[in-house]
Amino acid sequence: MRSLTAKLAVPAGAVALTLALAGCAGGNSTSNAGDQTLTVDTSFVVKTLDPGTVYEQTGNIAVHALYDTLVTYEGSDVTTLQPELAESWEQSSDGTTWTFTLRDDAVFSDGAAVTAEDAVFSLNRLKNLQGSASQTVQGLDFAAEGDDTVVVTSETPNPDVPVILAMPAASVLNSAEAKKLGATDAEDAATSDQIGTQLDTASLGSGPYVLKSYDPSTKIVLTANPKYWGEQPAYSRVVIQNVDVQNQKLTISKAKGDEIALDLSGPQAAELSDDLQVSGVADTSYFLSLNQDPAVSAVTSNPAFVKALRLTVDGEGLAKLFGEGATPAAGLVPPAFAGALDESENPVQDLDGAKKLLADAGLSDVKVALVYPAITYRGVDLGTIVTKVQQDAKKAGIEIELTPQPINVFLQSQSEGKNEINFSPNSLNYPASSSLVNNMAPGASTSLRTGWTLERADQSAIDASNAVTAELTPEGRNEAMIEWQHVMNEVSPYIALANNAGIVVATSDLTGADYTPAGWTVDLAAIAGK
Amino acid sequence: MTILPSDRVAVSRASRFRRDRLRVGGSLGTGSFWRPLTVVSLGIIVLWCLLAAFAPWVAPYDPLETVGDNLQPPSGAHWMGTDDLGRDVLSRLIWGSRLSLPLAVAIVACSLLVGGIVGLAAGYFGKAVDNVAMRLADLVLAFPQIILAMAVAAAFGPSVGNAVLALVIVSWPLYARIIRSSVLSVREQEYVVAGRMLGLPTLRSIVKDVIPNSAGPALVMSTIELGNAILMLAALSFLGLGPRPPAAEWGAMIALGSQNLGNWWVSLFPGLAILTIVMAFNLLGDAIQDHLDPRSRNARTR
Repeated sequence: MRSLTAKLAVPAGAVALTLALAGCAGGNSTSNAGDQTLTVDTSFVVKTLDPGTVYEQTGNIAVHALYDTLVTYEGSDVTTLQPELAESWEQSSDGTTWTFTLRDDAVFSDGAAVTAEDAVFSLNRLKNLQGSASQTVQGLDFAAEGDDTVVVTSETPNPDVPVILAMPAASVLNSAEAKKLGATDAEDAATSDQIGTQLDTASLGSGPYVLKSYDPSTKIVLTANPKYWGEQPAYSRVVIQNVDVQNQKLTISKAKGDEIALDLSGPQAAELSDDLQVSGVADTSYFLSLNQDPAVSAVTSNPAFVKALRLTVDGEGLAKLFGEGATPAAGLVPPAFAGALDESENPVQDLDGAKKLLADAGLSDVKVALVYPAITYRGVDLGTIVTKVQQDAKKAGIEIELTPQPINVFLQSQSEGKNEINFSPNSLNYPASSSLVNNMAPGASTSLRTGWTLERADQSAIDASNAVTAELTPEGRNEAMIEWQHVMNEVSPYIALANNAGIVVATSDLTGADYTPAGWTVDLAAIAGK
Repeated sequence: MTILPSDRVAVSRASRFRRDRLRVGGSLGTGSFWRPLTVVSLGIIVLWCLLAAFAPWVAPYDPLETVGDNLQPPSGAHWMGTDDLGRDVLSRLIWGSRLSLPLAVAIVACSLLVGGIVGLAAGYFGKAVDNVAMRLADLVLAFPQIILAMAVAAAFGPSVGNAVLALVIVSWPLYARIIRSSVLSVREQEYVVAGRMLGLPTLRSIVKDVIPNSAGPALVMSTIELGNAILMLAALSFLGLGPRPPAAEWGAMIALGSQNLGNWWVSLFPGLAILTIVMAFNLLGDAIQDHLDPRSRNARTR
């Protein structure tokens, strides 16, 4: 049974479902998940398990299980924040201050109570360590009021604060113990923090698991935290093991139970046996950006050409190339996040319309160069995707010359802003769709690389972008993002193509193995036997 | 200094190419050349050449168009299945020969031309010219061929022309060395010296006496190298440094299929295409070499 294909259920699916349920019933009677081991297959990308510096995928998965954050997300839903260490939080009316009230029963794995002081220490340390994740909390100030209140202030209104504080990097450490090991939250923490790799041998968190062993090349072993303040996790032991992508498919196909795989691509997942569960959420968008600088290209800077090329896109066909869980792109926000356009707004390919636009604009026999990184991203060769774009554009008389570049060359040429058309994947740093406006509004960083300056942009795009930033609440911003995308689909140089899904594959005896775009891929503590 | 197969060919053969020009053609009629393996190799090469020449009529579909569902295994409609974009693998394979074969010939021809000129100059003039040219050749040969080709292709950007250029840059020294060593012995022959003494200008001496008598070993070498050129070209496009997509190129086709080996047909058939043609060229090259140099054949069959 696959959660993804459930909606496409056919009679054969119903048979598989029955079989799967029968299989689970058998599994339940023979085993109790409580003293069992959960095996997680993933291709390791991990440098550290220190929450202050963690940034890579595998590290985030483990840190999320070892530590707690003030707020969090449940399952694959990243539209609604859930309480974790904080039982409630509120934003001041001017939007610059967030107040988090901590619950009083949370304790660390050594039994010490979690206090506001611990949270402030951890967040200040994250900010001052100057690691990769530190950038997201720059401009925020953290202060404790009493034992149970954390106050976060920023100079400008920042509705994304709770979203940022759900990141694994914003996890709360046992500050007393951490200080004993040499940790500091001082402003010069980047040089004066002396904890080194000690958090790679023992964790200092309040999460459902504690660290048993860590080997960055083979495996990470977690055991249940006996003093966990919440509900005990179903599995007493979790082994995260390093398995390369090609072998994951084989391993998970042969697994008898209690196993999940995290790095299968959409096309691979589509080929798995129906006995496995596939959970995926479309959270990465792929888009073209057309250079608006007439000096770079008279063609791509012509609004009629942008519109025409947009009409040639075959979203359904592109989504098929990405495999399981992928969707056509209605707008620039992937459907996983609040503020995405409804799928009923998916654009429809209109080759005649495209031809007419080109003819009216006097553009005939146009030839443009499309530059893309020659990489495989999430198991999909980007060359395949752009070849499809090329095929569709050709049907409307647009000749696209594909230019693959090694990733470092691509990044360089992209930042120089001299490419006619760029193609690249785009993921959000944290699950707040309005963060796209920071990069993609007219005159913002990504836009400048495509020559879309404030002078060249249509006023409606500037207004819509300002409307998003003017909103002070998360709800208001998500609302404004809908209108923003409508405007961007009309006048921006960005053409959203399709959204690719992150995928978690689990054996049929498990529940709760849901892919999440929140940053930690899957919540290990939520996984249980059926 | 490394001893290359080219040196062996050159040294052992130099004395046989005296005034009798290329005897290859003349003596192929005798029995020893037409061994079964040679016939099969020639057959395979001829077959691929025919496929390349008649690709538009032989290939069942357009190699660049989506003509079926994505990733269909081999079936009656698509003998070798379809790839990620629903393109017919068989058609792409056949059209791929239109890239690989002419490009391999171009690579070898250009290398032969560049290497030939350098080798001739080095061998005929000797002294400083020889030293400079051969040290330059040594410099290029000091790098692993494929790594250097990758660096060159990456520096120029991916395209057909640049891939060919990169491979010419890494393979001309082979020919320069082999021709130089032939020329070294030919230029001391009496007829060359006599010609010079009769007042033949340098250029005429080279064209009339030296080239015809020193080209043989290099031509044998180029047969063997044709296979190598196909392989290196495929390697470059496997790494994304060859012809730009969506061109049907064997190396690029293998790269596409390697993402997911479950769809074995996407990679297997272009792999087999490369295997057959490269092996055929190598066996043919070996046969020619053995035929021209019975000593090395005996050494092999003993």
